[in-house]
Amino acid sequence: MSDSTPAKAASSAARQSSVFKLTFRLPIIIWQSLFFIGPLCFMVAMSFFIVRNYRMQEDFVMKNWLKMLGRDYFWDSYFLTWGLAGIGTVVTMLVAFPAAYTLAFKVSETVRRWAIFMLIIPFFTSYLVRIFSWYVILAESGVINAGLSYLGLGPFVMLNTKFGTVVGYMTLTLPLVIILQTFALANIDKSLVEAAFNLGCRPFRTIYRVILPMARTGLIIAAVFCFILSFGDFVSPYYLGGSKPPTLPILIVDTVKSGQQWPRAAVVAVVMMVTLFVVAFAGIMAAYRRRVG
Amino acid sequence: MVAPLVEFRSVVKRFDDFVAVERVNFTIEAGEFVAIMGPSGCGKTTTLRMLAGLEAPSEGEVLMEGRVMNDVPAHERDTPLVWQSLALFPFLNARENVEFGLQMRGVEAAERRRRALEWLDRMEIAEFAERDIASLSGGQKQRVALARSLVIEPRILLLDEPLSALDANLVIRMQSVLTKLQRELGITFVYVTHSQSEAFAMADRVVIMSRGHIAQIGSPKDIYRAPANRFVAEFVGRNNIITGTVSKATAKAVTIDGSLGSFTVDLGQHEKPQKGDTARFVVAADLAQISTAKPRRGSAIACSLISEEFIGSVVTLFLEAEDGSELKVQLQERELSKMDLKSAATIYLSWASDQAHYIGAD
Repeated sequence: MSDSTPAKAASSAARQSSVFKLTFRLPIIIWQSLFFIGPLCFMVAMSFFIVRNYRMQEDFVMKNWLKMLGRDYFWDSYFLTWGLAGIGTVVTMLVAFPAAYTLAFKVSETVRRWAIFMLIIPFFTSYLVRIFSWYVILAESGVINAGLSYLGLGPFVMLNTKFGTVVGYMTLTLPLVIILQTFALANIDKSLVEAAFNLGCRPFRTIYRVILPMARTGLIIAAVFCFILSFGDFVSPYYLGGSKPPTLPILIVDTVKSGQQWPRAAVVAVVMMVTLFVVAFAGIMAAYRRRVG
Repeated sequence: MVAPLVEFRSVVKRFDDFVAVERVNFTIEAGEFVAIMGPSGCGKTTTLRMLAGLEAPSEGEVLMEGRVMNDVPAHERDTPLVWQSLALFPFLNARENVEFGLQMRGVEAAERRRRALEWLDRMEIAEFAERDIASLSGGQKQRVALARSLVIEPRILLLDEPLSALDANLVIRMQSVLTKLQRELGITFVYVTHSQSEAFAMADRVVIMSRGHIAQIGSPKDIYRAPANRFVAEFVGRNNIITGTVSKATAKAVTIDGSLGSFTVDLGQHEKPQKGDTARFVVAADLAQISTAKPRRGSAIACSLISEEFIGSVVTLFLEAEDGSELKVQLQERELSKMDLKSAATIYLSWASDQAHYIGAD
């Protein structure tokens, strides 16, 4: 009998500590359930609802899915969004790399800290406001074309083009990508880079023989972030890309506006979510795969 | 005349305001095992890195076989370095790590593989060739790092405290691996360390550095028995350094008066000091003797026993002289067991007159 007391005490202590742990986990569980999993489930359910007389009614029909996935314009939008977000990601990663490389390897700790601070400043102002400021720069009578006209060039149409969309995406993603890349590169053990030199590796070759493999995880995470932000962005393709042909976020807005087709918009949204899940998952898998080839 | 393999000519290295290496001159001949030793921050690693081209000298010249190397970038030198951290590439397996230098030299794949496996075999780790670096033990990683550096058949190998992360038993094993390798290959090893035992166990010649300067260059025995100055005497071994003022000086010997007494010491190669100068001499702890009765001849210092340190067969006694200064004596355990120190109120520390080593004022 007497030896059951410590056992009881231990189990009650275990229960207490699990309650203690739960109090810390509960807020995030509640938050995620209420504002992420709940709405997501509702959105999936909604994609099977029907609209009658501009009113949505609960139902379970495949009509919305067949209508949307059976239309060419949906797939045009889908691949356009992929293409623009893909190009945006590649260009952003390439433009960011030399900057991140310089910040990680060539400058002092103090300069690096200031640079990171400066790269955070763009996030102080609304993204929409920053996009509008591009009008002044990219318009046919804007700053760039005015400059080029002195050289007898132009005017070039830059607004309402895919170029405009990518510029917009980069406004959103470039500072973040530079910050993420800088962290990825700055964490590389410098002696590995030196070891490569020491064994006869030219500085440029060192970038892809040592620096890229070492920074792989961080760089892939940066690219995944960049793609996700671009893929789901409404503002740039709408205001700088001219909204036609529409990307998926614009298609969602258009579908809702024309005849209150919330269920069909939900279909587009679910397709986007699935796509981003796949991209993010593939990215994380690639980032943490143990060895390359 | 054949130029030495390595020559440092009044080399200075500054980092902003900090002078890491200050006017260093020395040469290394082909086939030597040289250890550069000193406390942390003495400039030994910086010196080694200048040799590898990983740091550029601020002033002076680094020469290899008579050629000024200052402007030759690291990747064009054949000066492989074994890092303290080993700096193995974690994204490559053991064999691929060894192949890296060969790949950079354009050796084709099959030949590369053959030579890498040959070296891994020589280092007795052939069975781990396809293993991830992370799955190897400290000693195995060490061998991969050595193979990676030696597979390119350099004429000089640089080592930056490569054994400091290993446990004591492994250090001894790797020391013999290194000396054996160096003898078999006949190439030059430059070995940076803060450990006297590593330097003395392996090197033909030891360069002792202090605050960016070279304090002494010589064979391990020279440095151990004839320290050139106070720094070396304090850094190396267990030495008693006795300070005083010169009261009498001839061409051969000098009499030094201090708080411990008056002692006459041979000058050796040193210049004759002036009367009234500060002077020091060293009595190595293992050359000193103790007795419970005052010796009839020679110098002796009366002390009391403070503590003893027992390391296997050797015992170090820490003694306190009447003026409060600490003195050490090292003797065999079996010698000590014959003496009855516990009951003795005073212990006399003495030495044969030719075993006191004069080191001048600094």
